Amino acid sequence: MSYDMIAILMFSTMMVMMATGQRVFGAIGFVAVAAALPLWGVGGSDLGFAAAMKLMKWYPLLTLPMFIFMGYVLSESRLADDLYRMFHVWFGPVPGGLAIGTIFLMVIISAMNGLSVAGMAIGATIALPELLKRKYDKRMVTGVIQAGSSLGILIPPSVVLVLYAMIARQPVSLLWLAGVMPGLMMAALFIVYIWIRCRLNPELGPVLDPAERAAIPRSEKLKLLTAGVLPLAIFLVMMVPFVTGYTSLVEASVVGALASVAAAVMKGRFTHKVFETCTRETLAISCMFMWIILAALAFGSVFDGLGAVKAIEGFFVDKLGLSPWTILILMQLSYLIMGTFLDDTAMLVIVAPLYVPLVATLDLGIDKQYVLIWYGVLYTITCQIAYMTPPFGYNLFLMRAMAPPEINIIDIYRSIVPFVGVMILALILVLVFPEIALWLPQHINAR
Amino acid sequence: MPKAIRTYVRIVEAVNYRVGRFAMYILYGMMAVLIWSTVSKVTPWPSIWTLETAQFAMVAYYMLGGPYSLQLDSNVRMDLLYHRWSPRTRAWVDAFSVFALLFYLGVLLYGAVESTAYSLQYSERSPTAWRPYIAPIKIVMCVGVFLMLLQAIAFFFRDVAKIRGEEI
Repeated sequence: MSYDMIAILMFSTMMVMMATGQRVFGAIGFVAVAAALPLWGVGGSDLGFAAAMKLMKWYPLLTLPMFIFMGYVLSESRLADDLYRMFHVWFGPVPGGLAIGTIFLMVIISAMNGLSVAGMAIGATIALPELLKRKYDKRMVTGVIQAGSSLGILIPPSVVLVLYAMIARQPVSLLWLAGVMPGLMMAALFIVYIWIRCRLNPELGPVLDPAERAAIPRSEKLKLLTAGVLPLAIFLVMMVPFVTGYTSLVEASVVGALASVAAAVMKGRFTHKVFETCTRETLAISCMFMWIILAALAFGSVFDGLGAVKAIEGFFVDKLGLSPWTILILMQLSYLIMGTFLDDTAMLVIVAPLYVPLVATLDLGIDKQYVLIWYGVLYTITCQIAYMTPPFGYNLFLMRAMAPPEINIIDIYRSIVPFVGVMILALILVLVFPEIALWLPQHINAR
Repeated sequence: MPKAIRTYVRIVEAVNYRVGRFAMYILYGMMAVLIWSTVSKVTPWPSIWTLETAQFAMVAYYMLGGPYSLQLDSNVRMDLLYHRWSPRTRAWVDAFSVFALLFYLGVLLYGAVESTAYSLQYSERSPTAWRPYIAPIKIVMCVGVFLMLLQAIAFFFRDVAKIRGEEI
């Protein structure tokens, strides 16, 4: 059998295995070792374990449990409550203001956390009931929370970019810097969209009742602004030593995790129950990620051994004679389609080893040193979209689990449509203007 | 289900639960080591052992915690079809597809044992300034994978019981 056929067979077997609903890491790992044994005989049996050793030596992976833990501390100890109230009071008078305030809240949470789970939990427990009570359109609200929380993986610190850095062998710090501008741009686009929709149709996001607004004295309004101090402090304690080069990436993540615990203790909210939930859930989510990566690394090395990258490159460039940009757009499209039914970690570790080397060889007119940094941002935005698109999306699952009964599955599916549209717009903007992502890392690197 | 199988499931799950509850606290060990690494930089004696110790701790964390995370059912499944099936259909499909998982874990265990035997035989050390022995962490990995295997078999028994209309 030719190597191309083996590669195709591996992919299709994996898809069938996943469709049975078996745990994702089992499906990937099975295909990897089942292919390795006949290909390389006894030598192939080491492949699975070799991945475990590779995983151990990859230092930045230590940030994963730390950021997951930090996210749980932030959401479980309800540190964002005051923050939400601040935005609530200050943005109340604007049409759709509470939804816009929720986006701001999500940006701040994203700057303290590397995944979308914390944002989802905070959004669903604090913002969602409050917005529904104020007669906001339920589809608008669920969409806002899902879209806003997905910023968590684009705005640094970002776990997805750490994983991407492993595959693409790029410095994490540059990738994080590259995520800043696109992340803020996307948040701005969400806000513009909400504002326009609510201007056109005020029923979607009614203005806060004037009587209620008048009931809050100016002094209290100003006092609420201090709610922003705590997140800012956590962010600075974590990021300043890292940016100045005192702490390494991993150390910075630990400092961040402990800073959030300190904040929770200070507020008197680090109860025994919070401690237990955070510790247990961190283990559960970390193990899930690690085992998927473990299996997918084995899968990736079989693909490397088959020379699948060369085959794909040859197919696109020589056989079809496509231009570099056409190939890039096709890759992004295939990623978007795959993202609808693959989990982002599986996607990264399976597909990225094929696509990343290909992007590196394409001549796109971008500085070679930065082309993979830029692609990292494109990849992350695609992941964000994948989080929200049915049938397989983390945010969809979380929303389904957390939403009150009056929001049904159809509402959740329909709520994401406009926001996915906005995200695709952001993806196209970063694709056409790479400077959006690359200006900041280039500027800082040049100093 | 035969009594022996019930006992097996009960013991395996109890052991994995306790090992997992222990592994869950390794997180704080990792934090302590890394904070020490941050602090010791300002002292005249920066530590050379922190980085690798943290890495070993992380491996122990997810290897020993793995079976417990399976018990918590935190592992993602592609539930395109899965969530529409009845519990009985799920048990049927799982009872077959779990063999893929068993096969993967079996090969993983084989590789782990072989690699550990090699490390023990040649007293392999890590090629860093600290030069720790590698065998201990590999033994932990063997144990972790083995416990995963036992847990997966326990799931198989649970599924078979469910198909027969029983509950273990």
